Amino acid sequence: MSHRPQGLGEEAGGGARGRSRSGSPGTGDRSGRRPSRKPAPKAEGVTGRCGGPAGQEWAKGSPRPDSPQRKQVEHKRHREELGKQKRSTARRTREGRKKKNGKASLKEQRASPKKEKEVPKKEMWKQLKKRRSPSLASSASAGESLSEEELARILEQVEEKKKLITHMRNKPWPMAKKLTELREAQEFVEKYEGALGKGKGKRLYAYRMLMTKKWIKFKRDFDNFKTQCIPWEMKIKDIESHFGSSVASYFIFLRWMYGVNLVLFGLIFGLVIIPEVLMGMPYGSIPRKTVPRAEEERAMDFSVLWDFEGYIKYSALFYGYYNDQRTIGWLRYRLPMAYFMVGVSVFGYSLMIVIRSMASNTQGGTSEGEGDNFTFSFKMFTSWDYLIGNSETADNKYVSITTSFKESIVDEQESNKEENIHLTRFLRVLANFLIICCLCGSGYLIYFVVKRSQEFSKMQNVSWYERNEVEIVMSLLGMFCPPLFETIAALENYHPRIGLKWQLGRIFALFLGNLYTFLLALMDDVHLKLSNEEKIKNITHWTLFNYYNSSGWNESVPRPPLHPADVPRGSCWETAVGIEFVRLTVSDMLVTYITILVGDFLRACFVRFMNYCWCWDLEAGFPSYAEFDISGNVLGLIFNQGMIWMGSFYAPGLVGINVLRLLTSMYFQCWAVMSSNVPHERVFKASRSNNFYMGLLLLVLFLSLLPVAYTIMSLPPSFDCGPFSGKNRMYDVIQETVENDFPTFLGKIFAFIANPGLIIPAILLMFLAIYYLNSVSKTLSRANAQLRKKIQALREVEKSHKSVKGRATARDSEDTAKGSSKNATKAGTMPHSASQSQTLGKKAQGPGTSSSASGTMLPASSHLPISRPAGIRPDPGHAGPQTHPGRSASRKSAQRPPH
Amino acid sequence: MGSGGSRAAQIPDADRIRRETGFSQATLLRLYHRFRALDSNKKGYLSRVDLQQIGALAVNPLGDRIIDSFFPDGSLRVEFVDFARVLAHFRPIDDDTGTRDPKEPEPPNSRMNKLRFAFQLYDLDRDGKISRHEMLQVLRLMVGVQVTEEQLESITDRTVQEADEDGDGAVSFMEFSKSLEKMDIEQKMSIRILK
Repeated sequence: MSHRPQGLGEEAGGGARGRSRSGSPGTGDRSGRRPSRKPAPKAEGVTGRCGGPAGQEWAKGSPRPDSPQRKQVEHKRHREELGKQKRSTARRTREGRKKKNGKASLKEQRASPKKEKEVPKKEMWKQLKKRRSPSLASSASAGESLSEEELARILEQVEEKKKLITHMRNKPWPMAKKLTELREAQEFVEKYEGALGKGKGKRLYAYRMLMTKKWIKFKRDFDNFKTQCIPWEMKIKDIESHFGSSVASYFIFLRWMYGVNLVLFGLIFGLVIIPEVLMGMPYGSIPRKTVPRAEEERAMDFSVLWDFEGYIKYSALFYGYYNDQRTIGWLRYRLPMAYFMVGVSVFGYSLMIVIRSMASNTQGGTSEGEGDNFTFSFKMFTSWDYLIGNSETADNKYVSITTSFKESIVDEQESNKEENIHLTRFLRVLANFLIICCLCGSGYLIYFVVKRSQEFSKMQNVSWYERNEVEIVMSLLGMFCPPLFETIAALENYHPRIGLKWQLGRIFALFLGNLYTFLLALMDDVHLKLSNEEKIKNITHWTLFNYYNSSGWNESVPRPPLHPADVPRGSCWETAVGIEFVRLTVSDMLVTYITILVGDFLRACFVRFMNYCWCWDLEAGFPSYAEFDISGNVLGLIFNQGMIWMGSFYAPGLVGINVLRLLTSMYFQCWAVMSSNVPHERVFKASRSNNFYMGLLLLVLFLSLLPVAYTIMSLPPSFDCGPFSGKNRMYDVIQETVENDFPTFLGKIFAFIANPGLIIPAILLMFLAIYYLNSVSKTLSRANAQLRKKIQALREVEKSHKSVKGRATARDSEDTAKGSSKNATKAGTMPHSASQSQTLGKKAQGPGTSSSASGTMLPASSHLPISRPAGIRPDPGHAGPQTHPGRSASRKSAQRPPH
Repeated sequence: MGSGGSRAAQIPDADRIRRETGFSQATLLRLYHRFRALDSNKKGYLSRVDLQQIGALAVNPLGDRIIDSFFPDGSLRVEFVDFARVLAHFRPIDDDTGTRDPKEPEPPNSRMNKLRFAFQLYDLDRDGKISRHEMLQVLRLMVGVQVTEEQLESITDRTVQEADEDGDGAVSFMEFSKSLEKMDIEQKMSIRILK
């Protein structure tokens, strides 16, 4: 769910603890989000500590030089200091050094008056510029409270603006420009004049600034808070750093699913279950809300409850409990209507969210391909997060860097692989053949078992095994087929990422077969129940009729109504379907947990502890530790979700169970992975967008929509249970609402909209739109690919060109480089001769470089003494200067333009 | 308000440092406090040991390289001026990049200088090139023993191959900056509080 920032952190697969996403050279993005986890305070390290934990005190943003007068004073002082420093350093330095210093500071002195002269003009220019960028002024205003210096600056600016406003007329500008300038100037004056005035205006200004500051701080804190609110982020990061992004992608998917289910849960509980519990008729008031007399005795037994019979069956968790009253409670809440609409909107919301996240994934995916050129350079230079200050986090980061390198190595190997294409093709065909055989076999097995179970269901006194045969066979198939597929897939020799997709597709087919057999069996059951319904209906009527009309009762006193538990009732196929789904979900959950516990945890324990007394190496040899089964888990999740979608209409409580299941499985699986699994042998990078998962999910959503839609549209609801009882079809509830509660013209409009004459053109239009958009996107992507290819080609050409040219200049540059490096090393050992050799090196290099190089050399050499005036170098530095000029020389050679 | 100015007076050469680095007064003061906090026994300068106390540097594979960058000339002490100068690399870039006088020296927080700082971390022998050997060394620091030597070497080769343009088997500064062209160095190598 979390759309991670596309960036380098992503590239690096950065694992460690939250901030590691922002791996970068030099520093992490301090200005980005900064969740203050445990490593935070230390992480500020050299740099930020002094800024306080949240950096509340904003630095005063006055990067620009100060006002001219001030500058002059500073300069004077500066020069004095320079002199002092010079003297002191001169005393300390030796022969050649002195000369150089003198030269440098001379130059400095020569430069400074010129600079001074320049200052006012430059200042003016900057002021003018500033007018054009008021944002700068405001950013400055976000600083601390007003200092005098800042006040002075603002005063000056305001004066400037005022002058501008008065002289605007005389400027030789076009009218439009004048207008905009005027407006900007006036705005500026208006905004800042308050700051300079006395009393109220100033206070107002200070207040406003305070508010801005507070607001910015609040925003930042809020961002931090948002980051912290992403649940399980740390856990997932932890896993990602140890197991790679592919395993983490499963957990991210699980988290996303949990979010979706929470929304569904809110929808169903808020709009259906809670109103029913609060305002509906209480338990025991009518037959459908009462346990029948025959079941009453055992209704509270655990074995019955475990099968979701008894009291659970007659509770608000299932469809049958709801009454067909049009409105309930003093709110006149239209429960049947709400029930139907919630059922529809569960699907609507799921479809929307799946498609939306797919779309956003693809959007994120388009911009990614650019970093491909420098994968390894990026990883090499930028993967460390310099804000990490906690050793545990650092360990994680080490692991994650290693993992990401391994991932890229796998990618690299795959792209460079050359192999016998015929052999591979043959093996792939063979593998597919084998797998299709497996699938057919399992399909037949399920078919056979289902047939048998139908026979069993007609018999009495079936054993536990015979009753649960279908479930057992399906679980076994689900347990053993995936590893079998995986073994076969080893033949194919795909890149693990592609292999994962194949594996997913195959297991998907298997699961789908299971699901649909299950559905067909269920449908048979439903039809059977429906055919019996009419009979039961008659019996019910007959019983009631007899009860009220039987003789032997005083006719004058009306008989008390028949106790609801005694009323004969239908089988309520909806509840039966709901119960099936709930059972399946729960058993699925248990099987998953037990598999993890036995297959992963116990195996890990066994391998770990029996290794001491075993004849071969268990850890490296046969049983080894389990790897995390991504495909199986993802599909388990997807199919589970399919169950939820299908079942939630008939068992509103199912979503609640599922939320619990996802929650526990998040913790349980996180623990199991970290405790008892080992990373995959070939760690591979998950494709950035897990659209494949989403695609499968969408498919399952569609497939699970079908049976529900079928039952809603074409089966009559039970006559004595559920919110739609007594209606011919479930969707009649809409018609009823439209007729009774809406004004008549609305009803007409609805009827008109439902007209096929309108619907068919609408569908056609939609198809056309889809076609158009599709073709547009295809064109765009083709253009995109072409551009990318062009860039690639350009780069190749440039590279080859340069390497040819570079070889030509190589001798030359190598000479100088060698010279300078030799100088540097020499200087390291013999500090006395350092400066001499440098000057020599410089001289030697001067004429040696080409004319174009000398152009760039000039600024470099001129700026060096200014940016680091030699005179003020504080350290006496016996071995001092050797690196610096050495570097400057190399820098010059580096700055030599490519052509 | 005014008090910041009076306190700032304690900082030696405050004005000069400010002009050179572009720090604001408040930031400089804050840096100075930090500097003194790091200075374990009030020597007035920082030694290598002081910097090694910092947790983030202690766990950083490149920590030693970073510390080295505070000691540019092989000296053994960091005065506050050097301290501020190094940190000036991390000052966020001002919004008014267009207005800079071309004759002025490039401020230490420009993109190029930021990159150069990063480059120096990798350039162990400071010859202006990241050689294959240097890269291997850094890589070994970063991934430790979990990857085989062979793989490390192939990673290095691959990196050099990617970034190297003139075919000299090493990454020069130009090539380095080119390979990080897409990276938002200005933002990543900025610490917001160092205005």
